[in-house]
Amino acid sequence: MKAKKSEESSVLFKRSKIEKVIFAIVFVVFAAYAVSLVFPFLWLIVNSFQDKIAYQVNAATGRPFALPEKIVWDNYIYAFKELSYNGSNIFGMFFNSVWYTLLRVGGAVLMSSCTGYIISKYKFKLNGFIYAVIIFSMTVPTVGTTGAMFKLVDDTLHIYNTPLYVLLHYLTGTGMNFLVMYGFFKNVSWNYAEAAFIDGAGHFRVFVHIMLPQAKMVMLTLAIISGITAWNEYMDVLLYLPDFPTIASGMYGVSRTLPRSGNTPAYYAALVISIIPVLVLFSCFSDTIMKNFSVGGLKG
Amino acid sequence: MTNKNFSAAKGKERTFIFLMLLIPALNWLVFWLYVNISSFVLAFQNMRGEWSLTNFVTFWDQLTSPYGDTIGLALKNTLLYFANNLLIIFPVSVIISYFFYKHILFYKGFRIIFFLPAIISGVAMVGVYYAFIQPTGPLGAICDWLGIEYTDSLLNSPMTATPTILVYCIWTGFSTNVILASSAMSRIPTEVLEAAKLEGCGPFRELVQIVLPLTWSTLNTLLVFILTGVFNASGPILLFMPDGGSETTTISFWIFKQVYGNGALGGTKNYGLVSCAGLCFTAVGVPVILFIRKLFEKIPGVEY
Repeated sequence: MKAKKSEESSVLFKRSKIEKVIFAIVFVVFAAYAVSLVFPFLWLIVNSFQDKIAYQVNAATGRPFALPEKIVWDNYIYAFKELSYNGSNIFGMFFNSVWYTLLRVGGAVLMSSCTGYIISKYKFKLNGFIYAVIIFSMTVPTVGTTGAMFKLVDDTLHIYNTPLYVLLHYLTGTGMNFLVMYGFFKNVSWNYAEAAFIDGAGHFRVFVHIMLPQAKMVMLTLAIISGITAWNEYMDVLLYLPDFPTIASGMYGVSRTLPRSGNTPAYYAALVISIIPVLVLFSCFSDTIMKNFSVGGLKG
Repeated sequence: MTNKNFSAAKGKERTFIFLMLLIPALNWLVFWLYVNISSFVLAFQNMRGEWSLTNFVTFWDQLTSPYGDTIGLALKNTLLYFANNLLIIFPVSVIISYFFYKHILFYKGFRIIFFLPAIISGVAMVGVYYAFIQPTGPLGAICDWLGIEYTDSLLNSPMTATPTILVYCIWTGFSTNVILASSAMSRIPTEVLEAAKLEGCGPFRELVQIVLPLTWSTLNTLLVFILTGVFNASGPILLFMPDGGSETTTISFWIFKQVYGNGALGGTKNYGLVSCAGLCFTAVGVPVILFIRKLFEKIPGVEY
């Protein structure tokens, strides 16, 4: 507390008159941008309670900011009971989102922990080569492999439109997750491991019981961030899992039909329902995300 | 330790390394190496699987044709998105991060609000933005109030559709960059800035001459990722214009369109042409990216 206070009162945060003016102008710009991000969602929430006829009348008469005369819950009831896409209702979409996210994130975080740990802590002949290959794969721009990937998934592996696609495709130990885990394990002391080896522990035990517990927070942060990305993913699902619409790909499908049928408020209600889980997750873990990005994040 | 024990221990270590890397290595071999080799081969095959250069002829025709939703148009739009990422979103993200680092009023709240586009689904963000910019939506009402005539959606005209999506990309584009850049800045020793401040260093000079060099290793990595994605740069075209209408198509959307749902969006299902386009863009992109990376490596980072 004391340290924080001294930091705040340090010469670093004292500003000259010109700086105060600059900071005031920037504050106004930031505030306007923040409002631009928050206000549309408030508008969305308000209109998700709007009567569908009233919504159309308001739109036609240039009154898009008009508040609902009465709160209409029917839009939410419709979204929960009747809304569907490719045979899945909203609960089915949520279920698909859950398993898609868990399989994708679980595999990727676990595998990148394995590769990050091995490449950072063990010296062996192929170590440098594997690291170079991973970096090469990440930084060399390969374009247009979607066709070949589709052929592989559909014609060769026969995992198109099956959960096996998610399980196999995302068991990846490369990418940004690898960089973060590699950076983390590189800075973890090897002393505990050496002590455990002397006590007779094996490599696997050291990894599971000593190293992974230390990486818990970084792995959790990666899991949350990758989880949010996976939850919101729609193109991958549309392309490879068309019969398993997730909440994101399902909302895309619904966006092509519901507003055109004149029931835009029900579409807004569905959108509100779709963003609640990630907002709850983020509000629970926002501190963890911000803090651990600082600790285990990109350190070049 | 005897020689026998030592080699047994080494053997166990090797087995452990092998088992730990087995699954990720297989994954990489199948889903990266095989896919890239297969893509290369496909580029030289026609739709019947025969060896042919027909894809290259079609690619060149589509690249140079001034008519329709061609690869040439997709390339032009892709470069616009790339420039948007490199010249607007990235620098503004660094400036935002700097003000967060300097604890501008309400910076903790701003940091969370600015991160919202990264956590809310693109489908929802586009849904809101789309509703907002319609002539019957809030933008229409604001234009009406200002006396500006706005009757046809901005997305209906080729002149305004891509700029409208570019603005959306800027609106939602700062989130992750800001978090990464501000966490890099948070590691700068405050003593350095205090010393500069005592010497009379202003905010602009502080940003350019102290903060940027001290965070160069992170910014360099972010820049390399932007450069690497040059031919994949795009907006959420599928969500705005599922058929790529109003001349909004980009390379990545054009590729998606060719492969998705047996041509459900008007694609050809011609994987060979997709691979050929990819091969040509990769062939152009790789040397450029490697050269720029070499240039970046010449810029000295500051150890602290």
